[in-house]
Amino acid sequence: MRRVGASAGFALFAAVMLLVVPLLLAGQGYWLTVLTTAALLAFGSLGVWLTFSIGRINIAQGAFALIGGYVVAILGTRYDVSFWLSLPLAVLVAMAVATLVGWPILRLRGVYFAMITLSLTEVASLAFLNGGSFTAGASGITSIPRPTLLSSSLSIYLASALLLLIGIVVAWRFAASPAGAVFRSLRQGEDLAASLGINVAHYRLLAFVVSSGMGGAAGAMFAAFQQNIFPTSYTVNDSVNFMLYCFLGGLQSVAGPVVGAFLLVIAFQLLGAIQRFQALLYGVFMIAAMLFLPNGLMSLPQILAARRERDGAGQPR
Amino acid sequence: MAQILIDGCVLSASYALIALGITLIFSIMKLLNFAHGELFMIGAFMVYYVYGAWHLPFAVGLVVAALVPALIGAGFEKFLFRRVMRIATREENTMLLAVGTAILLDNVALFLFGEEQHGVPETVSGVLQIGGGFLPYQRLVVVIMSLALIALLLGFVQFSRPGRAMRALAQDRDAALLMGVDVDRTSMLGFAIGAGLAGLAGGLLVTIQGVNAGIGVDISIKAFIMIMIGGAGVVSGALLGALVLGFAESIGYSALPGSETYLLIFVALVLFLIVRPQGIMGHPWG
Amino acid sequence: MSLLAIEGVSRRFGGLLAVNDVSFTVEAGEIVSVIGPNGAGKSTLFKLIAGFLRPTAGRILLDGNRIDGLRPHAIAARGLVRTFQETTVFREMSALENVVVAHHLRRRGSILTELLATPGVRSEQANFVADAREILARLGLAGLEDERARNLPHGHLRALGIAMALAVRPRVVLLDEPFAGMNSEETARAVEIVRGIRAGGVTVVLVEHDMGAVMRISDRIIVLNFGTLIASGPPEAIQQDETVIDAYLGRADEIATL
Repeated sequence: MRRVGASAGFALFAAVMLLVVPLLLAGQGYWLTVLTTAALLAFGSLGVWLTFSIGRINIAQGAFALIGGYVVAILGTRYDVSFWLSLPLAVLVAMAVATLVGWPILRLRGVYFAMITLSLTEVASLAFLNGGSFTAGASGITSIPRPTLLSSSLSIYLASALLLLIGIVVAWRFAASPAGAVFRSLRQGEDLAASLGINVAHYRLLAFVVSSGMGGAAGAMFAAFQQNIFPTSYTVNDSVNFMLYCFLGGLQSVAGPVVGAFLLVIAFQLLGAIQRFQALLYGVFMIAAMLFLPNGLMSLPQILAARRERDGAGQPR
Repeated sequence: MAQILIDGCVLSASYALIALGITLIFSIMKLLNFAHGELFMIGAFMVYYVYGAWHLPFAVGLVVAALVPALIGAGFEKFLFRRVMRIATREENTMLLAVGTAILLDNVALFLFGEEQHGVPETVSGVLQIGGGFLPYQRLVVVIMSLALIALLLGFVQFSRPGRAMRALAQDRDAALLMGVDVDRTSMLGFAIGAGLAGLAGGLLVTIQGVNAGIGVDISIKAFIMIMIGGAGVVSGALLGALVLGFAESIGYSALPGSETYLLIFVALVLFLIVRPQGIMGHPWG
Repeated sequence: MSLLAIEGVSRRFGGLLAVNDVSFTVEAGEIVSVIGPNGAGKSTLFKLIAGFLRPTAGRILLDGNRIDGLRPHAIAARGLVRTFQETTVFREMSALENVVVAHHLRRRGSILTELLATPGVRSEQANFVADAREILARLGLAGLEDERARNLPHGHLRALGIAMALAVRPRVVLLDEPFAGMNSEETARAVEIVRGIRAGGVTVVLVEHDMGAVMRISDRIIVLNFGTLIASGPPEAIQQDETVIDAYLGRADEIATL
């Protein structure tokens, strides 16, 4: 019953994203851009969600977004490579870096893993800043050519929405497959998993590499759409935001990071009217979420149901 | 060469205050205080306003620089962390809360203090010449005060009753509970002192570096680096981390532009952690 | 050839020799218990056999092939599985999910086929689910399949841990204090379970403190003290062994000379 509900939910979401939104917002460049941003950030957050499922707090997604963005930027501006080729290359480069770096650091857990991934975001930023003529340093790379076929806000939005939908399916498939059960077992007992024959190191790396590939893809898309990239395009704050979207939405299902990202991005824009208080309310919101909804927004239906059950049961037994 | 040593000492001494503060909080509550840099920044702003803008004595500024962050820290512990730690189903919840507090403070500060960089006038003027290097008296004051505060803190933790309660809590939470340690009050005090140390560090360093509302994240990252190097939750680790970072900066800055120095520091750190993830003095983990 | 052979195994931690030149064998179909006072090195020995620690000296052979130095998952792949005292199960999963995950080594598909949910993967999964139900029923956990593991009482948790180990279809299973924290009724049931494991063709090595259970169930007993093997033999012999009694009770004249 639950699976039917989830599939229906996904179908509804896909319909809204691909049909309803274009119909309603065809001319509204601003809001299409907002939804594009939300979709791509949600996509990156799905990656971070995967690393959460193996029990790691991943604050490095910004680094991979940066890598993805620069691959597209450099290939596009200097070597005239079509976006449709540089996008998969960006994903591959991000995954290669993730393999190299992930292998040794995935042994760490908890705050240690969090701190080292946070450092990686800084390293990426600083590396691109000091990359000399190759990365063009502080001035970044601008005038990245728009991808062929994607010149309007609407087409850009559709491409991003499609990517997100693919990402949801991939993450969902992972979670529902035996590999997903292995991921979850890693979070709950790595030694136990190993004693049952699970190659813990390989599975950890798989989750991290897939996550980073998604980060790279998100960064690549952003670079192509914003047509620029700078060493400061993704900072620790952005890496933390990816984590936030997951948490706000809830870590139990793939819907969580998507809900979290869309909610916060759209809310942020709506609060734009209260410009000065925007980021402040952001922080307040986060704290409130931790205090009152520690399992994220998606746990709200469960909480309400439990409360109704409790009230309906009447006298305690 | 002498200049590098001098600068290294100045940086290490003041960074040690930051490292000790975050270490105290981590050891007692097993919590990484993401807002540590913001508390430093608030301390710096307190001195800016009290001493720099309102022309009250520097000492008063320092007291405020310690008290305001301490109160904020105590408040965070009592009203936020205590509750979330009780109801959290996953360990990440408290970390996210810590991140939330950092974002909150960052933006409150931006709102209250604005974006500009601020500095304060010197408390003492003049320069000392040692060996081949220059040591402005202002920096000497910072070093001396930092060292005094470090000694004070270490003495407090070692010899006082609340200090011993903190150490008990850090070593074995359950045993401390059984011994009758008031966990809530000790945690709150520990957070307050840790936050106060950050504020004091900010208040001292503002005389050298000035302050703006955006430095929170950078200082937090430095704090993380120090405890990663030295080992989280261990006092000796905090001091070692401060020493290493302070000298790494002074050596680096003498030879390379700022951002390149930090790139090297980070790369070295990541490589170091791959070999020794728990830091120099830390307990093995993971 | 013995199924499991421990040859001159030692493990040093800095200055401490936790396991000191221990040698013994385990034949197929036996139930062998390792006992000894606290700190005798039993759990260190277990970790060495299962691959969670490397011996600083000596060899460990499974079916004549060296397994010392191999990682735990590789050792599991060769047919040796251990249970744990603390993290006995995956707490957030249901009992059924726990046992299904334990079928990992028997899966034929790749990650890709799993993601695509090919018919092969789906029928394999269905088989594993059925197999898991059967194992759970065999261990007295029928009806609890969908219960979250962390809600299960202690005795059932241990049974679940054993169920998971059995799902791997190992040759040898290392049980870490299977009778810990059990009353006499639960212990009796656990004894039957362990006998059932052997009846199913799986060799059992266990570490335990509950002497009654150990004496009832073991074919042979290995006694460790301060990391050294001080006695080995059938229960009757061990019960009367002077060195064993001394190890547990201390020597009266040793105290007098202090």
